[in-house]
Amino acid sequence: MTDQRAADPVAVRFWGTRGTLPVATTAGQVRSKIVNVLMSASGKSFSNLEEANRFIDHELYFAAGASYGGATSCVEIDCGQDAFFICDMGSGLQGFGRDATLQCRLGRPKKYNFFLSHMHWDHIMGFPSFLPAFDPGSEIVIHACHGDAEQALRRQQDEMFFPDAFDSWAASIRFVTLEPGEEAEVDGLHVVTMRQHHPHESFGYRFRDRAGRTMVYSTDSEHNIDDMDKEAAFVGFFEDADLVICDTMYSLAEASSTKEHRGHSSNVVAIDLCHQARAKRLALFHHDPFHDDEVIQRLHDDSIRYESLTRDGAPLEVLCAYDGLEVVL
Amino acid sequence: MEAAHVRTGDVLIVTPIGRVDESTWKEFDDHLATGVLQASRESLAKLIIDLSRIDYMSSRGLRALTMAKHQAQAVDVEIRLAAPNDVMREILAISRYDRLFPIDDALPVGGGGGA
Repeated sequence: MTDQRAADPVAVRFWGTRGTLPVATTAGQVRSKIVNVLMSASGKSFSNLEEANRFIDHELYFAAGASYGGATSCVEIDCGQDAFFICDMGSGLQGFGRDATLQCRLGRPKKYNFFLSHMHWDHIMGFPSFLPAFDPGSEIVIHACHGDAEQALRRQQDEMFFPDAFDSWAASIRFVTLEPGEEAEVDGLHVVTMRQHHPHESFGYRFRDRAGRTMVYSTDSEHNIDDMDKEAAFVGFFEDADLVICDTMYSLAEASSTKEHRGHSSNVVAIDLCHQARAKRLALFHHDPFHDDEVIQRLHDDSIRYESLTRDGAPLEVLCAYDGLEVVL
Repeated sequence: MEAAHVRTGDVLIVTPIGRVDESTWKEFDDHLATGVLQASRESLAKLIIDLSRIDYMSSRGLRALTMAKHQAQAVDVEIRLAAPNDVMREILAISRYDRLFPIDDALPVGGGGGA
């Protein structure tokens, strides 16, 4: 198994990591970063780009020299040269669509398998701008547990909201409704779904490739304070996963007070569930649009600390997803 | 998980002992609910949760604190946390629970209980 994994790696690529609404870094925020970097580099000299990059990589914390980005939920599971697999169609889908189009020009099959967590706007808003949908050679298969997925996608392209109608797309588009808990095989990828607590419901996905690597996509999932017994099912769903992508939009205090019943979770609960499930890596995901890079960085640092304080077994690596992050399994 | 419930003047102090995790949170929750009920029955305005003998608390324990707070608010009892160790203080800060609850460095004079 180890050889197969090394020879045929799976890359999980984050095209959009924000929740609720896309955000963009403002001119003032960029300027503030530049000023801080210049101050950090005061007295140093760089004779070439490599030295400058080394300074960024080794002497600056992430938020000082980069940004978590602001596109909404879209995650690609890249299993190689065949069909594409994409979780959700947030505004990050636009970047994925451009990248995929380039790959297809080089010969990759134009087959796109989507898996939708739910129909809220931040998870489907990228589809009207999905470049491969204009291509008559594209085959798009949209998997969802919601029976009203097609209705939602058609509605957002009503001319009241968007100039191009859903039926004007040149691509072949079909919908597949999955039953919660049902196991399916999609172009070589094993998929099982799980019902989650969220307004209008959401569904988590557990994927397993032929080499046995597992990745869980569990976004927009509230773990209710008055129903903690249900968490055992999530521990089972996350069990031994190589990577768990979790909605960690709020602090636990917010999730259990002012933001209760909004359908989101916290870094602290995600870490506890992953610890119990013996997952190997956790990616913090679905960042609050009100949080700037410094706040998200602090949340990541706090999460790493909480993991070490509460660990009672093998370490859990806590990543903080950002637009452009690629995790190789 | 054991806990002591000790009345000191017009305050009830609940002192749970040990770790609050997936296996103990329900007992912890029961101890807090018992404390809220006792404080209400004895017309006490304040319940202090003495954290000095809690080694560590997972998210389930923290959420049990929230449930106790809801129960206490319904009967006009104020909940305060007191005497967390360094680990607990960090966990309260990371979870931002230090914004939900007033936290005192020490118990009131004469307070504190064994089990």
